[in-house]
Amino acid sequence: MMEELLFFFEVLLGGLLTGIMYSLVALGLVLIFKASQIFNFAQGAFVLFAALTFVLMLEVGPGFWSWTGWLAVAFALLAAGIWGLRRYTTVLDAPKRYGRTPVVIAALAVVLLPILLDGGQPMWRAIFIVELAFLMLTVGARTPNWAAGVLLGLAAACFFLDGAILWRALAVTLLVMIMMAIAIERIVLRPLVNQEPIILFMAAIGLNFVIEGVAQGVWDADVHALDIGIPDVPIAWLRESLGLFVSIFDVVAAVTAGALVAALAWFFNKTRVGRGLRAVADDHQAALSVGIPLKNIWAVVWSASAIVALFAGLMWGSKLGVQFSISLLAFKALPVILIGGFTSIPGAIIGGLIVGSTEKLFEIYVGIPFFGGGTENWSPYMLGTLFLLVRPQGLFGEKIIERV
Amino acid sequence: MLYREAGQFKTTYASDQAIFPIRQDYWFVIGLVAFACVVPPLTGSQYLMGPILTQFLVFGLAALGLNLLTGYAGQISLGTGGFMAVGAYACYNLVLRLPEIPLVASFIISGLFAALVGVLFGLPSLRIKGFYLAVTTLASQFFLLWLFDHVGWFTNHDPAGVASAPQTTFFGRLAEAGGPLDFLEPINVVVSGPRATSEVKYLVTLGVVVVLTLLAKNLVRSATGRAWMAIRDMDIAAEIIGIRPLRTKLIAFAISSFYCGVAGAMYVFTYVGNADTEAFDLIRSFNILFMIIIGGLGSIMGSYLGAAFIVLLPVGLNIFASTVMGGTLSGDVLANLELIVFGGAIIFFLIVEPHGFARLWQIAKEKLRQWPFPY
Amino acid sequence: MSERSTAERITFHEGREILEVDFSGLAFRGGADVDAFYDEIEARLGETGSRWYFLVNYEHCEIAPEAWATFAERGKRANITHGLGTARFGVNVEVRESIRSHARSAQFRANLFESRDAAILALADMRKRHQTAGAASAESFLKVEDVLLRFGGVTALENVGFSVHPGEVFSIIGPNGAGKTSMLNVVSGFYRPTSGRILFEGQDRTHLKTFEAARLGFARTFQNIALFRGMSTLDNIMAGRLLKMKYNFLTDALYLGPAQKEEIRHREFVERIIDFLEIQAIRRTPVGRLPYGLQKRVELARALAMEPKVLLLDEPMAGMNLEEKEDMARFVLDVNDQFGTTVVLIEHDMSVVMDISNHVVVLDHGVKIAEGTPDEVRNDPVVIRAYLGEG
Repeated sequence: MMEELLFFFEVLLGGLLTGIMYSLVALGLVLIFKASQIFNFAQGAFVLFAALTFVLMLEVGPGFWSWTGWLAVAFALLAAGIWGLRRYTTVLDAPKRYGRTPVVIAALAVVLLPILLDGGQPMWRAIFIVELAFLMLTVGARTPNWAAGVLLGLAAACFFLDGAILWRALAVTLLVMIMMAIAIERIVLRPLVNQEPIILFMAAIGLNFVIEGVAQGVWDADVHALDIGIPDVPIAWLRESLGLFVSIFDVVAAVTAGALVAALAWFFNKTRVGRGLRAVADDHQAALSVGIPLKNIWAVVWSASAIVALFAGLMWGSKLGVQFSISLLAFKALPVILIGGFTSIPGAIIGGLIVGSTEKLFEIYVGIPFFGGGTENWSPYMLGTLFLLVRPQGLFGEKIIERV
Repeated sequence: MLYREAGQFKTTYASDQAIFPIRQDYWFVIGLVAFACVVPPLTGSQYLMGPILTQFLVFGLAALGLNLLTGYAGQISLGTGGFMAVGAYACYNLVLRLPEIPLVASFIISGLFAALVGVLFGLPSLRIKGFYLAVTTLASQFFLLWLFDHVGWFTNHDPAGVASAPQTTFFGRLAEAGGPLDFLEPINVVVSGPRATSEVKYLVTLGVVVVLTLLAKNLVRSATGRAWMAIRDMDIAAEIIGIRPLRTKLIAFAISSFYCGVAGAMYVFTYVGNADTEAFDLIRSFNILFMIIIGGLGSIMGSYLGAAFIVLLPVGLNIFASTVMGGTLSGDVLANLELIVFGGAIIFFLIVEPHGFARLWQIAKEKLRQWPFPY
Repeated sequence: MSERSTAERITFHEGREILEVDFSGLAFRGGADVDAFYDEIEARLGETGSRWYFLVNYEHCEIAPEAWATFAERGKRANITHGLGTARFGVNVEVRESIRSHARSAQFRANLFESRDAAILALADMRKRHQTAGAASAESFLKVEDVLLRFGGVTALENVGFSVHPGEVFSIIGPNGAGKTSMLNVVSGFYRPTSGRILFEGQDRTHLKTFEAARLGFARTFQNIALFRGMSTLDNIMAGRLLKMKYNFLTDALYLGPAQKEEIRHREFVERIIDFLEIQAIRRTPVGRLPYGLQKRVELARALAMEPKVLLLDEPMAGMNLEEKEDMARFVLDVNDQFGTTVVLIEHDMSVVMDISNHVVVLDHGVKIAEGTPDEVRNDPVVIRAYLGEG
């Protein structure tokens, strides 16, 4: 009896800790939905992209860094030059005159060429990243000033974080993610402002495909081990005193998620940008009319969710190894926000705990004995549906008062 | 000059409400169907009729089904693949266990099964709206596929979980030698299974698709369609003018799933010849959703235009890869490239024309109406 | 002024509730003539204490231009206080044009007929409609009893009660945030009151679902237009017909026989409404593209297509210019007059409300502060304070 109870608790605890990890992915979804009513289906791909970039940054040799650093400096100077020219002359206005879509396509072709021809050399990949950042931000998003800044940051990380391998990788990945977020906002979202939610949703699915394709094309489809220095071993005293197996890693993940939520809550409620965000979330047009820079706010939100994706990528990558299936985590995050509410940050955590624990318990006590297992795929959705039938806006979502 | 409706006066409401009120449209549709019946079989190209046209028709029908639900009734569904799978496995089991039923009737019955399942998963739509509903429809997707994977009965305990279409004939057992309708035997062609020809499979698919499309067109221009669109455009107002929301939504779910179910059944019997659950996975659901987004929400024509685009895109990419790049691309790279181009094309289309091909088609018609004079 | 006395010119037909007024051969030279005539008529009417259908004979009647303003004003007031409807006949060309133009600007119905018989017939018709509309006894037609509505801690309506008589134009007015729209939402079944009852035709229908209310005979328009933006004008109005249509998806899919017949039958009805509201030209236009005033009109058309017993109008004239307002007021009166529909109206524009309604209820902060005829309400100090503030 005692053992059964202990087993139950172990399953429950395992479920709760897994659930917290789901919350990490769900957080990104909530952030973007809250600020822009966009259902960002690409969050899973973000996580994959972040994890793959991070792994690559750990795997490359020392020669890479100075090379990439100098390349970044060179591109930064070029971007600054373009920016200056753009400001003071009209030489570079061709994209404006002829529309930028062909330019973006041409640029993408140039960028992809080294990848297509590559022999899997890290150097090519580094070039690709810097090139991609450069082209995306200058040509695609037409923000060479931002590009210059980000690239200089990249160079700085390459040169000055020489001793701390993990930190250097983290810094570079962070910058790459931010670049991606800005580029997405400028290239994909801005032309779609004021479209129907379903159109934006579709765009996010399209984005999901593009990022998945790029991620797998640039890197590879192998499973990369990721070690961020946190051991995945049970905590000794818990095992000895209670006989419970709780991994240190899981606890760290839970703490990270908690810290992220606290940070985001602070950011949303206490900062100026946060207030702007909440205003934008309420009503785009009203926010615009009182002078809140909608575009920059969106760039900030997408960057924030890209950063959240990075944390999720690190956690999941070191747990499962970095592989394609990480991008499928989005499907675990969906029922989480279904239960927690699309717009609630704490809801993402509570939803994660509910989903994680119930799916594990259901699988162990109902799924495996009666149906031959595999119920984890759908049981959270069924649970979410039942939840919504009672509370159509999720646990913490804003109550919908219908008005006419 | 060709597309003038001047001089076509409507003197009765019946003619004003006809299915194609403009004469040219009427003849165009008839011409198109006739062309589709005659020309592809004459070319004798297996490739054209099988992987291209039959695939197009099957997915076009599924897209039409989803468009009825999403484009007309405004309920986003991500579970299309699941409903197609219901149709597919229902039809497989019908043919396997009740071989007396003619295949086309089996299609219809399996569509009805899908409709039943659709109603079941549509029930939450009364209380749950928008993206919340969209996410809950994933439940049907994941649950149904899991069910077909885990319950061996559905695949007749096939070790690989594959349902292979047995051989069937158009009129079924009834028209075989010794049956009550054996005078039909000479024209009792083989429709599915390894011995069926592409021509027959293509024509049967075409027939089913044309009939179901006409029915759909009738639906959306009559009372049922108006009730759907009212719910889509403003559910509160719809309820206040006396439309029953749950009934209307459930009918939409039922009919949409019926179409998807028939498409799923045809996928197995007249297109691929066999199916496992992977054929109906989430990617399939998304693909079909893309078809209607790119084709145009709330447009029957758009469903087929979108389906044509999505079906032809990989074909075009393959041709591009083999001719221009000369086969230098590995399969992996090509697969990733396909993903990127696919995603990119979707974003591009959404930015350029968020209302899809259907809108372009409309604009083209407007232009044609005035041609050759600009005003 | 004339050879016959005014008293001789008034005939009561008690059984038919008709009051015949004979203007024939009369000449009104100025406001004073008109006032004299009407004072006498109204005194007589006051004595009867009931309402009448007016049958007015204009044969060889002359009205001087300077008398017209008083004439129209007095006529309208008599109709509002004592009338149930008016039919005019024997009108010459000049008078007809004057009446029409005054009818447009002062928002009453011209109702001009060729002969006395035709006019009597029309009045009888009108009376029959009014009677069917009020088939249940007048008192219990639509009654709101002690309605309380709360959202969380906010009280939107506090024990509001009133009753609406069949065939009247009933207005709910009040300053912003007074709870007018909430009241309408409760009546149309969109909100459930926290407590209190709503009786319609003698039956408690407080807890009906929204779509069931529509089936009972409630139709409404919205403050912020709630049309189906993706559909054409025709489809929008046809959607209003869904309530009355027999349809199911099987016959619809085949579109043969019954389904087609049904479509055509209801299309005919809808076309009549389109004619009535003068929106023929925008039949096929998607409503999203129409200007605001026309959208409001389409919305009214959709509500009329439901053949309601009670028409609930939520600020039908908000945001309109004067011309559009006059059009709309005319349509509201026409609907009330021609179809005998009871109209419950919310409006900001006091002048319009006072002109067209029979009965007014004033809300402020969810509480009923006054009720009565337009004149009573207009002069009520409590109402004036609510609108203009203290002092």
